[in-house]
Amino acid sequence: MRVLAFLLILLTFGFAKAEIKVVATYPYIASITKEIVKEKAQVDYLASGNLDPHFVVPKPSLSVKLRNADLLIINGASLEVGWLPPLLNQASNRKINPGSNGFLDLSQYIDLIEKPENVSRAMGDVHPEGNPHFHLDPYNVLIISQAITEKLCKLDSSNCDYYKNNLSDFKKRWNEKLAVWNSKMANLKGVKVYQYHKLFDYFLKRYRIISVDTIEPLPGIPPTAKHSEELISKANSENVKMILQDVYHPIKPAKYISEKTGLKIIVLPQDVGAVEEAKDIFSLFDTIVERINK
Amino acid sequence: MKKCLLATLALFTFSYAENVEDLKKELEKQREIIIKLQERLNQLEQQQEVLNQTKEKLQNLKTESTIDKILSNPFSQAKFVPDISLITDFSYVSRSLTDDTYKSVQIPGFNHGFFHSHGDHGHGHAPYNAERGFNFNYSEMYVASTVDPYFDLVGVFHLGKDSFEIEEGYFQTRDLLYNLKLKGGKFYSEFGRLNKFHHHVWNFADAPLIYRAIFGEHNLNETGVQLSWLAPTPFYLLAGFEVFQGDNENNFNRNGFKVCTQIETTTKECTSDKYIKIGDTKKPNLFTFFIKPSFDIGNTSILTGVSYAQGKTRINHLEDDDPHALYGDTKIYGFELTARHTLDSYRYLLLQSEYIYRKFDGARFGYNNNGDLQTPRFVKKQAGFYVEGIYKFAQRWRAGLRYDLINKNDVFINGRNINLPDNMYKYSAMIDFLPSEFSRIRLQYNYDRSLFTENLERKPDHEIILQFNLAIGAHGAHGF
Repeated sequence: MRVLAFLLILLTFGFAKAEIKVVATYPYIASITKEIVKEKAQVDYLASGNLDPHFVVPKPSLSVKLRNADLLIINGASLEVGWLPPLLNQASNRKINPGSNGFLDLSQYIDLIEKPENVSRAMGDVHPEGNPHFHLDPYNVLIISQAITEKLCKLDSSNCDYYKNNLSDFKKRWNEKLAVWNSKMANLKGVKVYQYHKLFDYFLKRYRIISVDTIEPLPGIPPTAKHSEELISKANSENVKMILQDVYHPIKPAKYISEKTGLKIIVLPQDVGAVEEAKDIFSLFDTIVERINK
Repeated sequence: MKKCLLATLALFTFSYAENVEDLKKELEKQREIIIKLQERLNQLEQQQEVLNQTKEKLQNLKTESTIDKILSNPFSQAKFVPDISLITDFSYVSRSLTDDTYKSVQIPGFNHGFFHSHGDHGHGHAPYNAERGFNFNYSEMYVASTVDPYFDLVGVFHLGKDSFEIEEGYFQTRDLLYNLKLKGGKFYSEFGRLNKFHHHVWNFADAPLIYRAIFGEHNLNETGVQLSWLAPTPFYLLAGFEVFQGDNENNFNRNGFKVCTQIETTTKECTSDKYIKIGDTKKPNLFTFFIKPSFDIGNTSILTGVSYAQGKTRINHLEDDDPHALYGDTKIYGFELTARHTLDSYRYLLLQSEYIYRKFDGARFGYNNNGDLQTPRFVKKQAGFYVEGIYKFAQRWRAGLRYDLINKNDVFINGRNINLPDNMYKYSAMIDFLPSEFSRIRLQYNYDRSLFTENLERKPDHEIILQFNLAIGAHGAHGF
């Protein structure tokens, strides 16, 4: 009898403490989510910020994170298509399947750019929905935080007011930061750059920086000597100023082009955890703005 | 006087107050009217807009497009087309054994050659890379989609030069509680590591020796159900069991047979009217169980597991030159270990190994030199393993080595070991070029010392395979 009572108490406490578990595919989503939920929910993520977001190893341990999740937040726009489906299948968690309540696809809330009219794999690894790296426009972060809050309110209505307060606080701090970043980025308006992959297009578009070409000849296809020579020969005539390199692609092609042309190479983080300074969503953009201004 | 004045003042004040009250009321009324007017105006504006739009549409109808040109497709379900993909495998083979020899050799104690088709099962595709020169191994059609909130459905159709086979056709649940999943239909068993993977994701162009020796060319591909469960442990732990009808020709065939007690030794025709009838097995016939834990150490993911399969055996070779048949029980044990070390986004080291042990216990039906039926007790205890290492050293390049060994091949007739070869091995090396995620060109070299003639003479084989494997369409991502 005493054991039963004890179990009952345990069960009651168990329910009382039942905070929701959120799993995000990428660290930046987890960072924004943490700003909204603070201590009221557990937040975890699957991909490492310092590795290529397209090619995440679907290790079995990731299924364990998905197994108990109440909410799965994904970037969407086919960024996870190559690694998430088998993990979801393995996790057998009915709460977070696409179409169920505990699933949120952020790309659905954003106007994606570079949406191709037609697709063929002859164009390389194109995303039919458009460029999926939308979180690198700092204004999109506001939309993302709003979408996450609305989803959380639906799932956990008892804490809705709390989430909404955190959201407005986050938005206030974010807008203050936006003012700082905007003024720092104003100098770079109209500057022309190369990048490895069309990774920073949203950021560049926001600040009117012109991406002339990419080091990879086609999305997902490694650099070729021929294409690198093309980049070298037109760097001068196009008045290109710098090469934006991500942390996970080999830096050798950028170095080669830089040696021949004298272009600066700037290594930019694309996600929280990509470089040491990018600890959360704020410092991610601080780091990008600071490095690109050097 | 004072009183009178006061009274007048009071009266005046009251009446003034009344006037103010009236004014306020009037104002309120006016405001309400204005709001109503505003609303009415808005409504009118909206109506006007709708009218304009309608007018415009009407105009368009009259001028640009006639009524016939407006196409409607109200019953189109194009958006519900499932994921469809086609995978083709094509190879060039150079082999030191002639095609005739290659067709006649066998792994003694295990099979009667890779091309052998059992009496009652004429179906199935020839082994991959069967001939010297060019081989069109297959085109495989994948169709997969979510059925409804409760099920997914997958179909894999194996198209050979002159064969069609439903390689897999199964449903699985999406909505079971407690991280359970039920799978049903025809599919590859979860037994072992490699078994469930399709040829196009294998690390080498051919299956490991122990797989070909024990399961044959189809691996363990069966019809039945599987229940799997991802346990609520802090690390990955997948457990499950399967119940299958029993199709595997080498181990779990379910169909019985009739054996004549005496045959004519040259024509192999039955010369007696007495038969021994072995009935079908109970159906379903094959039961498997597996448990697979996985954990990470730093950048290394380790997946390990044990598998077990058990069923009754009916093997019918009564139509052969040397007519014989087997019946009894088979138990197969598997142990697997995979370790994958991530170096960066595009490079990794992979080590994969499996050990498989089989025990058969039953009777063998065969004939002596006089054509009399002999039914000795027949026991097989056989085992082997493979170990392979793969190094993906660039975004588009992989290289790998594999060592295969069958080191236990004890076959007992009436308790006496007939001393079959038990040192059968093979070395393989491969290099892969992946132009994109959808294409693969692989060069593989094999040195195979597992093949013997019927007289147990070893036939070493050198083999070079140049493989082209290409995929188009929407193909689901592959798991770990």
